[in-house]
Amino acid sequence: MSYVTIDQVTKGYHHQVVLENISLTLKKGEFATLLGQSGCGKSTLLRSIAGLEDVDSGSIFIDGKDITHISPRQREVGMVFQSYALFPNMNVFDNIAYGLKMKKAKNIKTRVTKMIELVDLVGKEQSYPHQLSGGQQQRVALARALVMEPKVLLLDEPLSALDAKIRKNLQKELRRIQKELEITTIFVTHDQEEAMTMSDRIFVMNKGKIVQSGSPVEIYTSPVNTFVAKFIGNYNVLSMEVFHKLVHSTELNGKEIAIRPEVLQIVSANEGHLGLHDNWGIKGLVKDVSMTGNVLRYEVETEGAAFLVDNLHHKGKMFEQGAQVQIFVPKKECIIL
Amino acid sequence: MRKIKKQKFYLLALLLPFILFVVGFEIGPLVAMLRDSFHADDGIQVTIQQYVTIFKSKFYLQAIQNSLVISLVSAVISVIIAVIAAYSFTKFSQKVQNRLVMIANMTSNFEGIPLSFSFIILLGNNGLFTLLFSKLGLDVFAGFNLYSWTGLIFVYIYFQIPLAVMLIYPSYQGIKKQWKEASSLLGGTKLSFWLHIGIPVLLPSIAGTFSILFANAMGAYATAYALVGSNYNLLSLQIASLVSSDVTLKPQLGSAMGVLLASAMIGAMWFNNRMMRRIRRDLR
Repeated sequence: MSYVTIDQVTKGYHHQVVLENISLTLKKGEFATLLGQSGCGKSTLLRSIAGLEDVDSGSIFIDGKDITHISPRQREVGMVFQSYALFPNMNVFDNIAYGLKMKKAKNIKTRVTKMIELVDLVGKEQSYPHQLSGGQQQRVALARALVMEPKVLLLDEPLSALDAKIRKNLQKELRRIQKELEITTIFVTHDQEEAMTMSDRIFVMNKGKIVQSGSPVEIYTSPVNTFVAKFIGNYNVLSMEVFHKLVHSTELNGKEIAIRPEVLQIVSANEGHLGLHDNWGIKGLVKDVSMTGNVLRYEVETEGAAFLVDNLHHKGKMFEQGAQVQIFVPKKECIIL
Repeated sequence: MRKIKKQKFYLLALLLPFILFVVGFEIGPLVAMLRDSFHADDGIQVTIQQYVTIFKSKFYLQAIQNSLVISLVSAVISVIIAVIAAYSFTKFSQKVQNRLVMIANMTSNFEGIPLSFSFIILLGNNGLFTLLFSKLGLDVFAGFNLYSWTGLIFVYIYFQIPLAVMLIYPSYQGIKKQWKEASSLLGGTKLSFWLHIGIPVLLPSIAGTFSILFANAMGAYATAYALVGSNYNLLSLQIASLVSSDVTLKPQLGSAMGVLLASAMIGAMWFNNRMMRRIRRDLR
């Protein structure tokens, strides 16, 4: 039984379609991510679920109730914004308590205190937003949404304004809290790595459509088209014609072929063959080499195509720019698109 | 090092006209006013007699009271109207907003004798509208006398509103759309947003505008002079007659009243600031 159902939602602005026939379902307690480049419609979809945008057609259901046309305050959804959107004139406690006060809830103090403990902000109750760091402000925003015990938590790129280290910490913490409260969460991001680490399920969006959905492993290892392949994992995407010429074989057939950079092996040009039965060998020239710490990324120019090759960084095993090399393509790692 | 010193010297030299101006026309007169206020009419003997005269005279106390009341009333009414007007500005397209701000800017400079004259022509005893409406048989202005306290307040409010709008309008830009969205998702209505977030955020700007309007009204002279002449007892009119009249030339007494006028303005600003900090604790 699905907990959140989005059924054929369409929305346009000024004769331009932003969401085109979007349908998806989520189970209770699931952490789903809408992943895509800016302008793909992911934030609009999230805001439509929140009721901050109207949809032109289609329906949205949460827990069996049609919420398509009701006001945001009646939807029982919580939202965390990229810019935190904390109320500047209220301290941490009052920011978190605001929703409960609006609802005239009971035990406000106990509930807010508990939430402050959950997001690890004890001692900051009396601080004002401008006295907090970005990470702390985001925790307040999260607590403010969670204290209302919403049916669905919506997160609109909540971590993108933070620096890398704090972002990594908050990713883990967000996931911990989400699992602890078992709250159904929809997360919007343009960062594929963030989507991979956090989600139970990813919906990849492009030009107002969902182009693929699945678990992070499924999305990463079996992209359905060129867009997903390139967006999700820096895949090398080649036309089949070029690939046939490169490997002197017509064993594979299709329109295009996608190969992940990390499955390619790089050896010097005169080195022996690496199990030719399972691999294809392609000769080339190292055009560029860059290091991302533990990974060396080579840009190898071959006859007719350029490859990205990611290898782990081992001491003394590095090819310089201009080196003649051979790359091995494992047959079973080739994905036909 | 020498280069930097030289550069600083040039910068200071460029500032010199401004410094001279401030010292000569602002600080100088202020010091002179303070000094004169503590002198007797002969200008030699040091005394607090001028202040005693003011506080013993019902006439002068009434002038102070009238000025305070007209300033407070016109500032409060203008701020309320401006808060609503500036908000309605923000609901138009950017193009219309720019035009509206331009109109507010122009009208905010319209005060003094020309303003009073315009009002006399339109709403005076023989004013265009007064005659027009009476000819049409509509007694809209029957009970209205431009040269009375009501008339004076009316004109004060008129010249205060555009200034207040100009001062409050920019602070609406600081109200973020996402605060409204967050509030509505947390169960707040539009009213609760404005009560708990919108107005408290605007408050420093509203309070600041109030101080400026209060000071503006306290010091307004030409508008009142042209409209009511000496028929109405106002602090600014009394000071003027004491320092420049042919009949009752008493510059020392005028100075003492000037000091009281300045004190009232400073007092209003201080009170404002204190109140604001009590409500907006995050600004401490």
